[in-house]
Amino acid sequence: MFTVLGVVTARAELTPAPKNASVYIIWPPDGAVIRGGRLWVRMGLRNAGVAPKGVEIPNIGHHHVLLDTDLPPLDEEIPSDRNHLHFGGGQTEARLEQLEPGKHTLQLLLGDHDHTPHDPPIYSKKITITVPPY
Amino acid sequence: MLVYQGINSVGPVSLSCRQVNVNRESQLMIRQLAAFLGLLIFTGLALAERTPAPKNAYVYVGWPNDGEVLYGNRPFRVWFGLRHMGVAPKGVDRPNTGHHHLLIDTDLPPLDEEIPSDRNHIHFGAGQTETMLELPPGRHTLQLLMADFEHMPHDPPVYSRKITITVK
Repeated sequence: MFTVLGVVTARAELTPAPKNASVYIIWPPDGAVIRGGRLWVRMGLRNAGVAPKGVEIPNIGHHHVLLDTDLPPLDEEIPSDRNHLHFGGGQTEARLEQLEPGKHTLQLLLGDHDHTPHDPPIYSKKITITVPPY
Repeated sequence: MLVYQGINSVGPVSLSCRQVNVNRESQLMIRQLAAFLGLLIFTGLALAERTPAPKNAYVYVGWPNDGEVLYGNRPFRVWFGLRHMGVAPKGVDRPNTGHHHLLIDTDLPPLDEEIPSDRNHIHFGAGQTETMLELPPGRHTLQLLMADFEHMPHDPPVYSRKITITVK
């Protein structure tokens, strides 16, 4: 019973998504070939604002880059590891370096003040880039 | 603080070297005067104290490009680029952050005062990183200027190159 209540409460606490908000990768384009395995990913956000982690005001979020991974569970805190890059400083561009030659996927997921996706979650299309052999 | 100490210690010493007949009273006066001047300068510095800019911070107009020609009476998107710095809405005092201001058809405002808010100085205090803009036909200039939580430019100020676009 308590578990059920807990789950219900946790679900209900998701930050509501700003209306019509969307996140997208401005650059690179889907299918881009990235020589050298180094790039800036430009993160685009519409109908919402960027704020650093811990800032709890309406209609904001901060970017997370998902590298070579699928979307994580959307009702929990986004993991923080080499596949889930947090930009809690309010950054709008992400520098990626030393990507191994081969195909890589990139996707953006917006997190609220405590790194949890909004309700409904705001994430971009997943794109694929290719790093040719060095 | 360093300026204050510098004036207080260097001032009286160098003065007393040049003067041959320096009695204790005039030395005291000079010292008091120097202290007073130092205090004035220190107060001035405190008033003008601005948020330091993050190292290498770089803001730019991501789109449109400089020289872009836009057609039709429809709004176009402007996206704001920012590197080595983060975005925070107005009123949020975090290190290495700021929010965007779009300057349209105007030069940079005074960089040690709050950025004006009018149709030539558009504030994005909600942390927006892009906007839709509709401008009348003709040549227009666009420039971005970052400001801290109180709409004051950083020190040194972080602003983009001014670009020119033509609306037909």
